[in-house]
Amino acid sequence: MQFKDYYQTLGVARDATADEIKKAFRKLARKYHPDISKEPDAELRMQEVNEAYAVLSDVEKRAAYDQLGRGYQPGQDFRPPPDWDAGFEFSGRGFSPREAADFSEFFAELFGRGGAPAGARHARGGGRAQGEDHHAKLLLDLEDAFSGATRQISLRVPQLDAHGRVVLATRTLNVKIPVGVHQGQVIRLAGQGAPGTDGAAAGDLLLEVHFKPHPRFRPDGRDLHRILPVTPWEAALGGVVAVDLPQGSVKVRIPEGAQSGRQLRVRGKGIPGEPPGDLLLDLQVVLPAADTPQARQLYETMAHELAFDPRQPGRA
Amino acid sequence: MRDDDILIGSLMEESWLTLEQVAAACMVEPAWLLRHLEEGLFPHAESIAGTWRFSGMTLIRARRMRQLERDFDAAPELAALVADLLEEMDELRARLRGGG
Repeated sequence: MQFKDYYQTLGVARDATADEIKKAFRKLARKYHPDISKEPDAELRMQEVNEAYAVLSDVEKRAAYDQLGRGYQPGQDFRPPPDWDAGFEFSGRGFSPREAADFSEFFAELFGRGGAPAGARHARGGGRAQGEDHHAKLLLDLEDAFSGATRQISLRVPQLDAHGRVVLATRTLNVKIPVGVHQGQVIRLAGQGAPGTDGAAAGDLLLEVHFKPHPRFRPDGRDLHRILPVTPWEAALGGVVAVDLPQGSVKVRIPEGAQSGRQLRVRGKGIPGEPPGDLLLDLQVVLPAADTPQARQLYETMAHELAFDPRQPGRA
Repeated sequence: MRDDDILIGSLMEESWLTLEQVAAACMVEPAWLLRHLEEGLFPHAESIAGTWRFSGMTLIRARRMRQLERDFDAAPELAALVADLLEEMDELRARLRGGG
């Protein structure tokens, strides 16, 4: 296990005041905010910053860490001496044990014993308590919503070892994704959450569905949006064109006189379900390049023969 | 992979998430969630006959707001305002990515 220099992570001196630590943390929390940051490893960095702050913002944890870390260099192999934490009491506030599950092995080794494991809910006036629901994100391809799929997911779960210390166990599950899932929906795996105490039922595992970005389709609930390029003659004269779907294809009639920006709705061709979503096609008229004598001739003929001025007032 | 190793998930209709489920999934106290609901900071949650029900999207919002409050000591209303902006940004980013 490698020693972690939490002061270096936050970029503060070892004698920094609580205010300086808070300020440094906020600056980094802004820099690596996962919704805003352009840094490629923002999520990972934010986790490290959270871990460092969880220790250095807590008087007891910081004191224990300072005492233990004297003389260690970052990255150096580290083993805490037995009973090093005698005399300290960790209250574990700010970050929940389940968030701390994402922290490093180094953190778990040092402070794992202080946090309650993410296990059973507190029993109300009795020993039996149903297990807590666990929660994880599930990243899927849009195609999975059409065909269903079996996905293997790995979860890091804090558990108590024989010494009463919190350790991280990796749990791998094979999950069948039902047809018709959509963004933000939750898949429930009954009984796959934390175990209950005294024979009470285990909690559920709730998986929150997210789609990877798709090059052509944008899901909105069960509806699917896509841009449909059409030729000028398909738009002007109308016609039937084939449109690829995440699964299969569909023939769509372009109405005569269609223009760019017009939206066509194909009912029931979005993500399957009860009811299925719709396919929404945003038409985009694409002009052929005038890069051959024949193409130039055709444009010139139109220019001469058609009295057409799109800038004329009253024309859309 | 053997067939009996595969867990079959059931789809939760959006209205099925309870206050306790959202609170547990987002690692917040139910009281925190309730206080924010009563202050109108979760516009997409509905209360039917005194029982709150939530869409899956509430999970992301609750997690974002709690982090903003904790990391920056943000007032709940400010955290809600930032969450509103982030939601709008999500929507615009999704449009930009393609498909209209």
